[in-house]
Amino acid sequence: MPFELAEPRSLREAIASLDAKDPSVRPISGGTALMLMMKAGVLRPSRLVSLGKLGLAGIRTGPGGELRVGAMTSLRTIEKSEIVRKGWPVIARTLRTLANVRVRNVATVGGHLAHADPHMDLPPVLSALGARVTIAGAAGERSIPVEELGTGYLETSIRLDELITLLEVPPLGGRSAAYLKCTTRSADDWPAVGVAVSLDFQGDSIREASVVIGAATDKPTRLAAVERILVGRKLDENLLDEAATQELSVEGDLHGSAAYKKQLIRVYLRRAIHEARAQSR
Amino acid sequence: MRRSIQFRLNGEAVSAQVAPHETLVEVLQDAFGLFGARESCGQGLCGCCTVVVNGRAVSGCLYLASFAEGGEVSTIEAGSRLDAVQEAFIECGSLQCGFCTPGFILMTRQLLEEHPEPDDDTIRHYLSGNLCRCAAYPQIIEAVKLAARKMRQT
Repeated sequence: MPFELAEPRSLREAIASLDAKDPSVRPISGGTALMLMMKAGVLRPSRLVSLGKLGLAGIRTGPGGELRVGAMTSLRTIEKSEIVRKGWPVIARTLRTLANVRVRNVATVGGHLAHADPHMDLPPVLSALGARVTIAGAAGERSIPVEELGTGYLETSIRLDELITLLEVPPLGGRSAAYLKCTTRSADDWPAVGVAVSLDFQGDSIREASVVIGAATDKPTRLAAVERILVGRKLDENLLDEAATQELSVEGDLHGSAAYKKQLIRVYLRRAIHEARAQSR
Repeated sequence: MRRSIQFRLNGEAVSAQVAPHETLVEVLQDAFGLFGARESCGQGLCGCCTVVVNGRAVSGCLYLASFAEGGEVSTIEAGSRLDAVQEAFIECGSLQCGFCTPGFILMTRQLLEEHPEPDDDTIRHYLSGNLCRCAAYPQIIEAVKLAARKMRQT
């Protein structure tokens, strides 16, 4: 599989090496997903543009207390970051069970988000937290919610000549968040379902709720009906029963049938809400 | 399409002619005759191709060789004497066919750097990306704990 490997030294050069009209020219970061796609024959690039020499790695907090993670930061670096562990523990906990140590050592957060496999763990978590990404192109930068990245299976709203450069996650503030997933084969398998919740409690009542699930359809899905039920109510078993019986649009795949996944979501939604409640205390 | 890359391999400065698509494990085998890292699942799941690049374990079958340029690459062949982890694997009988063993050894070294006194859960979790088809898992977990004790004594 012959292709050309470009290793630009600047963001401008990297964007110029991409091609707005040629989908066989692709950026590559850690490459853990792209290598699998090339081995499987579903990606046959003419040119790969490596982002490894652009200086896009690093973790810091911004002026508004937000987390700012460079797109080329490895998942393992994020998992181990004291800043992340203290301020956004749900992200560090989620990473702990994402694939395995070697994959996390190499895979980057920008690549993770750009890959847009609906089974990935961070998109639902980051969507529930209201995170945004900065996307750079020839015309400059734009910032969009992580939630608006995925448009379908392995498809995103990033144009062919654009790159993710930065992830921004707002401070949790009073919110507590949890992510639970169910893997039906081995512990490090892709999930059959992943449930991310972010809840803002006022006493026993839920003031704000954000619920996003992964692996249920071709992209992460916000459960707006569940959020509406939760907000303004006191958290008890009746409320959880009501939330868990909402109609869901779910597609089956190798990891579970639609009916099985619906049942998993009912169970994991309750558990994730309980987990977030426990975190809030 | 081939180009020359330079890196350090097991402590020595080396160079190799690599094609853009070649993986690190292919280059280690074809250019340097090192077969300790071997491709098995080809998907980063089994750990047989584990190589340490710049101090971090990677799946050599998913890692473009070009990305190692200027870096420090270390394989199971590094060093001339058995270390505590290798001794422990031998003493605990933690291998049968041995195909997966280099990966387990390299991952165990990283595990013990991060967790000098790991419990069973930590070991199982850390090594969940390494598969042993002979199913020597109980002996492997024993060996990790024995290696941890050996390293604390020295």
